[in-house]
Amino acid sequence: MFLIHCPHCGEAREEEEFSYGGEAFIARPGKPAEIGDEAWGDYLFMRKNPKGWHWEMWGHATGCRKWFVVKRHTANHTIAGSWTLTEGRKVYDAEATS
Amino acid sequence: MSEPLMQSPLHDLGLAARARAIDDSAGTWACERPLAAFISLRGHVSDAAFVAAVSKALGTALPVKPCTTSEAAQTKVLWLSPDEWMIVAPRAEKARLLAALGASLKGIRSQVIDNSGGYTQVVLTGGYATDVLAHTTVYDVHALEPGRVVGTTFGKASLYLRRDGDGYVLLFRRSFADYILRYLERAAGPYGFAVASAETTGTS
Repeated sequence: MFLIHCPHCGEAREEEEFSYGGEAFIARPGKPAEIGDEAWGDYLFMRKNPKGWHWEMWGHATGCRKWFVVKRHTANHTIAGSWTLTEGRKVYDAEATS
Repeated sequence: MSEPLMQSPLHDLGLAARARAIDDSAGTWACERPLAAFISLRGHVSDAAFVAAVSKALGTALPVKPCTTSEAAQTKVLWLSPDEWMIVAPRAEKARLLAALGASLKGIRSQVIDNSGGYTQVVLTGGYATDVLAHTTVYDVHALEPGRVVGTTFGKASLYLRRDGDGYVLLFRRSFADYILRYLERAAGPYGFAVASAETTGTS
């Protein structure tokens, strides 16, 4: 079981209170009508499956019912941190450019 | 057409008939606070006008810190989410609160919903109340401080939990009411479970 820190409630809570939302920060194509089936299929179905650090969304289902992002290591389940979507995006972008 | 009937979601369990004064014969005592007013309030905490308008209408500061509560007279304000609060008050106060909030929040982006039919509250007291709750929720009940409210699990359902004197107040949806009370009674079995009469558990 994970202990996940909810950035909205400001507390670490049991995993059972949360629901998993899959990979975070998947960009929706700006003009769906103009891209091909393959690109749309990638957006809909293709997901990263890393062994290592993974940015994912969690929802605090029984608590504040807000969604936020968690950076978790898929091999040893270490959680590097959790952020609101806005704050997490900054950290995620900073990582991508560094 | 018959008149609409107002009754608690726990009506069918016949708690009132089992109620008695609290004594040493059971380790946990449950008592419903039926038919209260539950008002759901939504708005942006970053909007100073919203916070000020609500605080003025309720006569108490809107709790803006996560998981905290505030109170005025018989009214309790519970923080549920960064943009959602629950106002719990006696049913007789409902119309006045709705009118005060409506007048105060005019022109401010917000939402006030009368949810009184959707929830109920049960007070759990007794020497083993904490132990019983520990059987039912994943939250660390021992760490729950007075003045805080947490949304957490209860068996397969969810509820809002807060301390109240020596006991706890369980706030949950009416559709979970039957499940939660039966679960509570079964979990409390080893410690002894009884229904307390309303006047012995306070009124807030």
